[in-house]
Amino acid sequence: MILDDGSTILSSAIRLAAPLAFAACGEYLAERAGTMNISIEGMMITGAFTAIATSSATGSASLGLLIGAVAGLLVGLVHGNASHRLAVNTFVVGLTLNVLALGATSFFHESSELTGHQVTQVSIPVLRDIPLVGEPLFVQRWPVYLLIVFIPLTWYLVERTRWGLELRAVGENPQGADVTGIRVNVRRRQALLWCGLFSGLGGAHLAVGAVGSFNDNMTAGRGYLVIAAVIFGAWRLRGTMVGVAVFGFADALRLALPAVGLRLNSQLLIAAPYLLALAAMVAFVRRTRQPAALGKPFTRGIV
Amino acid sequence: MSAPTRPDTPSGPGASVGPSASSGPGVLGSADRAVRALLAPTRNSGGSPLAVAALTVVTVAAALGITALLVAAVGGAPGKVFSSMIDGSVGSSSSLSQTLLEATPLLLVAVGACVSSRAGVFNIGQEGQLLIGAAVGAYVGLRTQGPPALVLTMTLVCSALGGALWAAIPAVMRYRRGVDVVVSTLLMIFLAEQLVSFVVSQPALLQETRVAGQVVAPQSDALAPSFRLPMIGDYPGFTLGAGAIIALALAVVVSLLLSRSRWGFKVRMLGHNPLAARHAGVREATFGGVALAISGAFSGLAGGVVLTGEVYRLQPGMSDNYGWDGLLVALVARDKPIAAVITALLFGALRSGGGVLASTGVPAYLIDITQALLVFAFVLPPALLALWRAAAGRRRQAAVARAAVAGAAA
Amino acid sequence: MTQTPRLTDPAASAARAPAIELRGITKRYGQVVACDGVDLAVRRGEIHGLLGENGAGKSTLMKVLSGLVRPDGGLILRDGEPIDVADPHVAARMGVGMVHQHFSLIGALTVWENVILGDDSPAGRRRGGRLSRDAACAEVVRVGERYGIPVDPLATVDSLSAGERQRVEIIKCLRKDPDVLVLDEPTSVLSMAESRELFAVLRGAVTGGDEAKAVVLISHKLAEILAATDRVTVLRRGRVVARLDTRGTDAATLAREMVGREVSLGEEAAALGLTPVAPAADPPEGHPGGAPAAGAAPVLELDGVTLRSPTGATPLDGFTLSVRPGEIVGLYGVEGNGQSALGDVLAGLAVPDAGAVRVAGQAVDPRRPGALHAAGVGVIPEDRHRSGVVLDMSVADNLVMTDLGPVSGRLFVNRRRQRAHAAQLAERFAISCPSLDAPLRTLSGGNQQRVVLARELSAQPAVLVAAQPTRGLDVGAIEGMYAELRAAAAAGVAVLLVSTELEEVMALSHRIAVISAGRMVGELAPTEADAERLGLLVGGGAAGPPAPSAPSAPPPSSAAAAGSAR
Repeated sequence: MILDDGSTILSSAIRLAAPLAFAACGEYLAERAGTMNISIEGMMITGAFTAIATSSATGSASLGLLIGAVAGLLVGLVHGNASHRLAVNTFVVGLTLNVLALGATSFFHESSELTGHQVTQVSIPVLRDIPLVGEPLFVQRWPVYLLIVFIPLTWYLVERTRWGLELRAVGENPQGADVTGIRVNVRRRQALLWCGLFSGLGGAHLAVGAVGSFNDNMTAGRGYLVIAAVIFGAWRLRGTMVGVAVFGFADALRLALPAVGLRLNSQLLIAAPYLLALAAMVAFVRRTRQPAALGKPFTRGIV
Repeated sequence: MSAPTRPDTPSGPGASVGPSASSGPGVLGSADRAVRALLAPTRNSGGSPLAVAALTVVTVAAALGITALLVAAVGGAPGKVFSSMIDGSVGSSSSLSQTLLEATPLLLVAVGACVSSRAGVFNIGQEGQLLIGAAVGAYVGLRTQGPPALVLTMTLVCSALGGALWAAIPAVMRYRRGVDVVVSTLLMIFLAEQLVSFVVSQPALLQETRVAGQVVAPQSDALAPSFRLPMIGDYPGFTLGAGAIIALALAVVVSLLLSRSRWGFKVRMLGHNPLAARHAGVREATFGGVALAISGAFSGLAGGVVLTGEVYRLQPGMSDNYGWDGLLVALVARDKPIAAVITALLFGALRSGGGVLASTGVPAYLIDITQALLVFAFVLPPALLALWRAAAGRRRQAAVARAAVAGAAA
Repeated sequence: MTQTPRLTDPAASAARAPAIELRGITKRYGQVVACDGVDLAVRRGEIHGLLGENGAGKSTLMKVLSGLVRPDGGLILRDGEPIDVADPHVAARMGVGMVHQHFSLIGALTVWENVILGDDSPAGRRRGGRLSRDAACAEVVRVGERYGIPVDPLATVDSLSAGERQRVEIIKCLRKDPDVLVLDEPTSVLSMAESRELFAVLRGAVTGGDEAKAVVLISHKLAEILAATDRVTVLRRGRVVARLDTRGTDAATLAREMVGREVSLGEEAAALGLTPVAPAADPPEGHPGGAPAAGAAPVLELDGVTLRSPTGATPLDGFTLSVRPGEIVGLYGVEGNGQSALGDVLAGLAVPDAGAVRVAGQAVDPRRPGALHAAGVGVIPEDRHRSGVVLDMSVADNLVMTDLGPVSGRLFVNRRRQRAHAAQLAERFAISCPSLDAPLRTLSGGNQQRVVLARELSAQPAVLVAAQPTRGLDVGAIEGMYAELRAAAAAGVAVLLVSTELEEVMALSHRIAVISAGRMVGELAPTEADAERLGLLVGGGAAGPPAPSAPSAPPPSSAAAAGSAR
């Protein structure tokens, strides 16, 4: 009985953490390049809506997933060009893009008839019968397993490639990187494209993977949770993913506790991930090492 | 080279560049730094005011054009939509009244946002601060007995205090622990929403009184009519809420304080260069924290005004994006309270015009899109002009270089 | 040097086109002409000095050469071929390497990561963008050994000393095996021993026959140009005013060309980076002789001030120093030995972890912002843009910002009084600005510095801390600053001059204190001080506890240690 409940909670924790994990791959890389983008919320909601709209039109949830990621990339393209070509304040751009994305998705949602779609579930025989962890790990919607590739890939790109080295240099000391011949704003725009792609994928997975339909404002601040997870993880990918897991688990508890018969205040449970994120920032922010130029715009000749 | 090349001029190259080793002891939140660093160039670059104005006309037209396309895309008639929006916002005395009613909380939020942004603190949690203000106000307004004028004043003052205290939490987190204000104020919106939703779902707190045979909704009781903000004029004629007058007066006062007072001087100094401010004896935690709390107070007051002048009861959805939109108003107004008055009227007109959209079959979310596009329309022109100028300079120089190389080779 | 130097055949070398040649390079910034038709030719096998005072256009010229700035006119030739240096990558491909005045290193990265950063060579690309730590480390070691500048490739740059960082910067540059090596003010962060070491490395790089490199050494210091170069080109106000063989010239000639008038090499010498002929022994009028007010109680006392940075370093380690009224104490040391931290403490920007700061015998609580200023400590900060001024506020605002009291009522700033006060200061300190309402950003560096000086002196401080007060100023402005500092001391202000310029310290100080690794390591009278002795003190940071009460030459042990280290 306890084992079953544990298995259910773990299962939904992974289900709920997966969209955050995709987006966290993007946000982590973007922040290492020194870009702080709150437009991740807009990227996710855009990805979510586009995914459902595409699958509703074509009947293919997988295609929806792909197009959702591309839609997020387009938001990243707009943000990157506004902030790292036109040098408009990144928070102004992010805030406005969020309002725009939320408004536009709700606008089109209300004026169109969408049918829900969901990608297929993978269920691996034998392994799924392992007690406690079998079902959570081996019975999930298939995009969840993409994370096995994407998380190490993100780490590899940042830590082991020349591009990643340049991203880190740009995030730490853009002036120094510039005189070394690295095109700072180009790298930052590329980082934002990556962020848009994965945040869009995260939103799309939320819609066609975890839920199977679209509601207005269905991301409900999950993008901000991802930013909190990166801070929680002290700008290291492993820590970021731990943060994502914690938030996913809190979310899963909210859904699971009433079923178990525990009556806890639902508002408190909804607020729990945000509360945790705030507490984590208060507890950990001082000992962390954030990229020195995080959130600082770069213009040659201005220090 | 893009825009201002001053630091590169030969007069002071050595002093303009500091190696990272000389970075200061105070850990600055990345958001604060970004805001400061970005506000400076936008104020100083961007070409002549005339060019900016001309380009702004173009970008605003483009924003409206996109809006029209969206209307057409969902099968509406743009002309009809625009005319009904104009009718709904300024077409009659009642719609004009609605515009002023909508503009009031926007202006209050925006004035507060001007204060914190000028101090270099980017508060984006107004939506939550507004809700908390309304909740505290509702508690006072529903639980206090006394002369109406006194209770009303208490309601508004406590709303402002509630918002201020809610904003003071991120301020403490920022100045005691170094937590980024942008992220913390953002996350606290969600806490505020759940807190208010909790308060109105508990009979012991503010949930409305159970009446036999009726469903109890998650909202508070209505304020007694005498405890509501007075109106000038009578419906359906032109009405002007007292809240609008309060907001206008506060915008003027804040504008004056920011530009002329000792306090405003120090706040601006802090916003531009916190280290120089510290050297001059300005305590960053005090002035920045107070600026953030003031911003919260204005949002809270906006909540109180929505409560006592428009909705009359506490509801989880009563903030109705006033916080977000008020922040956009401040962005368009470039952190100037007087400019925010005009912008708030424009956004208020959009909102009240949006109220009649439903009758045309176009989703009211169109307004959110239009507002966001308008922000871009006002923010982008100076940046675009600076970029074009820099690009033209680069092209000219590249041409010079190519010609020189070709000439020498020949 | 591991390779065998081949002797250059002078005839062949002369016949070849210069390794790099600039013809008629012109660069304008708005109204200001930074470079005005500059011609410069650098041959293989020579160290070519580019001399000029601050603002003469040296750095702009080199930014043009390295592709960071596009010129408005002129041409660059590489081995006689015209080229278009569109960006730093083109410069790198053309074999031009640049060592920047302010390091281009990324502190959070390791040495090897920094060295391969920004490399777009085919070898780098062939690996498909993957990094090879082992190959990079081996290369760092190989280049380091070849030029005699070893450095640990796995160290994080943040953990290195200024001298080591410069080694990394040079390795980063030499790794690409450039034909032309440009060094922009490379000695500003080096001790004298390290500077000599650097010049030896450069000499090795240019002795190699046909394979020899060409080196451009940019400097505003006469002594350095005379010691290290073969030929010298002098820039003044963006124009070339002289081309000379170093051997056939002398300091007086160079100084005259650089400044554009006859200079005595007495008073002005320090401003030109030369040891003055007659240091403070012969003080000018109004300058209290010898040790002024020797019996007076110190007005500024630093007692065991210790500051720890969040990264675990200790920029100030029990620093102790006192300054008496009317005296100028010169605090000399190589950059990066705690001067910035000391400036921050005295400006109220950093709170010491231990120790006390006393002004006129009263301990000041450093946690209260502005407490030191209120106690009478005026500060001309090392980096005025960082903490001295607010670039986006007006000149008038900047002139009153530390003390609004006299120009405002209870609540509001009185604009009329503020303007009157500002106008008076602008007049007295000869601040030239388009308008008092103009943003400070629009002023030249010298005028911005005068704004800071005017504001700090107008508060009638008991102590004036001047941290690198002449950095980035031209000779006229430097002389003006010297006069102001002397006048302040003559008026009874205790002046603490923090400087990395030996000559400046020797010209102005009544007493010279030396800082090394965040500690006071010795104190000398200017008459006892010479370059050699100060150099030993600077290098002898490990020489036991300081003896501030007894000004003396360094203990023999420290001299020996420093000597053997070299």
